[in-house]
Amino acid sequence: MKITIVDGAPGHGFDPFHGKLVQITSALALGGHDVKNFRLSRMHLRPCTGCWGCWARTPGECVIPDETIQIRQAAIVSDRLIFASPLIMGFTSALLKKVQDKMIPLLLPYIELVNHECHHRKRYPAYPELGLLYQAEHDTGEEDLKIVREIYLRYALNFRTEFLFMETLDKESEELAYVVISH
Amino acid sequence: MWLSVINGSPRGKKSNTAILLGELLKGFCSVTGSFQLEEIYLNRPVKDGRLDQLFHESDIMIIAFPLYTDAMPGIVKEFFEDLSGLCGTNPALKLGFIVQSGFPEAIHSRFIARYLERLASRLGAQYLGTAIRGGVEGIQVQPAWMTRRIRKLFWKLGAGLALNSEFDDAVLLSLAQPERLGAFVRFIYTTGARLGLTDFYWNRILRENNAWQRRFDRSYMIS
Repeated sequence: MKITIVDGAPGHGFDPFHGKLVQITSALALGGHDVKNFRLSRMHLRPCTGCWGCWARTPGECVIPDETIQIRQAAIVSDRLIFASPLIMGFTSALLKKVQDKMIPLLLPYIELVNHECHHRKRYPAYPELGLLYQAEHDTGEEDLKIVREIYLRYALNFRTEFLFMETLDKESEELAYVVISH
Repeated sequence: MWLSVINGSPRGKKSNTAILLGELLKGFCSVTGSFQLEEIYLNRPVKDGRLDQLFHESDIMIIAFPLYTDAMPGIVKEFFEDLSGLCGTNPALKLGFIVQSGFPEAIHSRFIARYLERLASRLGAQYLGTAIRGGVEGIQVQPAWMTRRIRKLFWKLGAGLALNSEFDDAVLLSLAQPERLGAFVRFIYTTGARLGLTDFYWNRILRENNAWQRRFDRSYMIS
């Protein structure tokens, strides 16, 4: 299975988080899976400016050069795309959201109706299934987790794929590696 | 009174969000002139300490942004994270949000609105509500008669805010129409799609950019 992991934890104070993802990556690789782990805090990343260049000028390609192109290239040929982030102010990180914003070139600008709602049409024949590995805040409650889950379900709907799981990083690496491939 | 307006559009001053906020401010000014207005654009660097000052001094703060992949743009999330050290420091603050999107239906923005209500609670502020408006993408190119109603509604939202320090529920309801597409509209859209009419706008732009032939390119699929 091809798996892309996007580590959205900020650079400072999250060494255990990064370390856990490295362990999960290793466990998956040992199991014979083709895994890429992108640590966003070490990458050159420029946010989406809403220019629509990726739809209107260079169809399917972001016109703002940065290293997120590697993530889009890896994600679109993956079976699973795993977002990973601590919850900060009740949602996954700004760093991760900036990358998610820049996935828009993977869709077409044209609109179609899905479940009676407007959504962008697919550019690619298939999209990776999604999962989320998160680290809760000290005050994270059930309502917070429900809000996060629902937004990721919408994200999956937009990309015509499935949101398979949302799992806390508190578990053992081997167990989480199993979660990533088992759903 | 301090009114702070945070424009979270990555397009900044040239954004559709700026147009909606402009109408809201016109409505606000039509009721009262005695307030201090502070405007921040999140697509530009904000001076150190400025956000802290605004959070502490403001009586009302309006945060507006376009819906990006079903949530706030990354730069807005960054702003929320910058506020994390200020939770509970201004319990008198009234915090309202505007979420606009290109999709015509309000349903797309309902999910992030739940987050925003929770965010206001987390910050220890009083939640004014979230004004949701779809179908905003064309507002800059549409003729005046097509945008008159939406502009008027944001004007009324601003006037009500100045009068009562709250968002008018009836205006919020009007702004969020349609919540979902009705059967007739879906039928018209589906019929138009079969005839290729619904792609007209984007095809025109693609042709203007000499990019139409490449409109279905899949350049990221390299292995």
